[in-house]
Amino acid sequence: MDLRIALKLTVLEGKLFLRNYINVFFLLLFPSLILLLFGGMFGNEPAAIFGGYGTVDVSVPAYAGMIISVTGLMCLPLTLSEYREKKILKRFRATPLSPHYVIIAQIGVNLLMTVVGMLLLFITARIVFDLHFMGDFLPVVAVFLFSTLSIFSLGFLIAAVAPNMMAATAIAYLVYFPMLFLTGATIPIEMMPETMQKIAAVLPVTHVVKAMKAVWLGESIASVSNSLLLLAGITVVCFFLSFKLFRWE
Amino acid sequence: MKMIEADALTVKYGDLYAVDDVSFNVAEQEIFGIVGPNGAGKTSTVECIEGLRRAHSGRVRVVGLDPWRERRALYGVIGAQLQDTAYQDRVRVGELCKLFSSLYRNPASYVELLEIMQLGDRRRALVSTLSGGQRQRLSIVLALLPNPRVVFLDELTTGLDPRARHQMWDLMLQLRERGLTIVLVSHYMDEVEAVCDRVAIMDGGRILVDGSVGDVVGRFDLLTEISFYAGLMQPGELAGLAGVQSVERQRNRIIVRGRSDEAVGAVLQYLGQNSVAYSGLVVKQPGLEEVFLELAGYRLSEASSTAAGERGR
Repeated sequence: MDLRIALKLTVLEGKLFLRNYINVFFLLLFPSLILLLFGGMFGNEPAAIFGGYGTVDVSVPAYAGMIISVTGLMCLPLTLSEYREKKILKRFRATPLSPHYVIIAQIGVNLLMTVVGMLLLFITARIVFDLHFMGDFLPVVAVFLFSTLSIFSLGFLIAAVAPNMMAATAIAYLVYFPMLFLTGATIPIEMMPETMQKIAAVLPVTHVVKAMKAVWLGESIASVSNSLLLLAGITVVCFFLSFKLFRWE
Repeated sequence: MKMIEADALTVKYGDLYAVDDVSFNVAEQEIFGIVGPNGAGKTSTVECIEGLRRAHSGRVRVVGLDPWRERRALYGVIGAQLQDTAYQDRVRVGELCKLFSSLYRNPASYVELLEIMQLGDRRRALVSTLSGGQRQRLSIVLALLPNPRVVFLDELTTGLDPRARHQMWDLMLQLRERGLTIVLVSHYMDEVEAVCDRVAIMDGGRILVDGSVGDVVGRFDLLTEISFYAGLMQPGELAGLAGVQSVERQRNRIIVRGRSDEAVGAVLQYLGQNSVAYSGLVVKQPGLEEVFLELAGYRLSEASSTAAGERGR
């Protein structure tokens, strides 16, 4: 692998990502805006519904689900299917560069942007609401990166099964919105009736939210091993299917 | 020297033969045209030669390389402009050129190439703001970056306005002067006549006829059309002249069809000697367009008489 070219491509794709205002809004601004809204309404005082934790303290790790969903379920699959439809991937095949680099660059850019989105949210919460962090640094980073990988695998599957951009957009929205609103990634799952919580349990992002919250609040990784195993299963299946089904043109 | 050799090339999609036993050679500094209707197998043929598609059978060599097995080496010596490729949204001309330059070991200077392609002042422009012609010229810049010996242009001028098309033709001839070999895939017969040294007409995955443009046209027994205004003349007067095959009148216009030079000479002589008052005389030599129509008509009648449905389409 030629790291120099991979880096150049990643830098360029990163610039293109930031020139897309929709990406910038939903990834970098929207989570902070929602936090300001909920934080503004409920403050960050300990609340019974959140087991004695503050609204903001539980929301920040939960919003990781929101941020990862934007890059993993929207940006990644839509860009890949756009590049395929516009024959950009094919154009790269007609160079010494393997088009795999385009995918590597896309993973790199989206991963980086996911991290940046999370950091921005963290900073907003810290400055405005006096956010508390009760966990350990390493487990939180590990669960965050693992969750990102897992949701990205779903994004790849969308790119692999969608025959064109229209279909990819339709599938992405169909997957993204439930993941955004029914999993606790935006609206706290604790506020939902029991039946909805049961439905939520089958959505992968629910488990991202659950695991992130747990390690953020200082619980051990082992305490959410079920959720993490489920995400691992999803990752393996989705990547396997994506490799089988993905077409360059 | 042969830059491209294709021997009994076949491409299959499922049971369908998209390219069926196609053979041709392209010499150095030649402009080789592949023409034919949609679905004729032109792009499939070219994609095999470009290493983008695997042939079902047959042998292909490009500058001595096997395009499928030696792809990396291949992309150092060929440049490709693919049919209707778009580029990333919001990418700038300069950024794209810089990226593509970094893919090659000894790339040509993209600054110079942009200058040659009259895009020098568009480096900071978003690719999405370029006109159709500018975008195609950018595609050529990218295709020329590896300092290639062979360039493939697939429907380069489709969708361009007439001025941009003529500009592209001049460009192709200039590139050939610089030592390049060009393979041009086109729908347009006038384009092929304007720039190509040799041409292959494809349909149904096969090459129906190939050779120099003059040869190809000469191989068909096509008639020259001489027409002029002569209100007072009876068409029958010209019927017996040497080389003349048919004469008809369409309103005020007399239309004579016949063997090229013989008929033209005879008609002009007759008009002169008999002091016929005529005007607006036009001689239309048969070209590739006529060859193509002849072939198309030929195939149609062939298809209806032999109960179609075998291999091919």
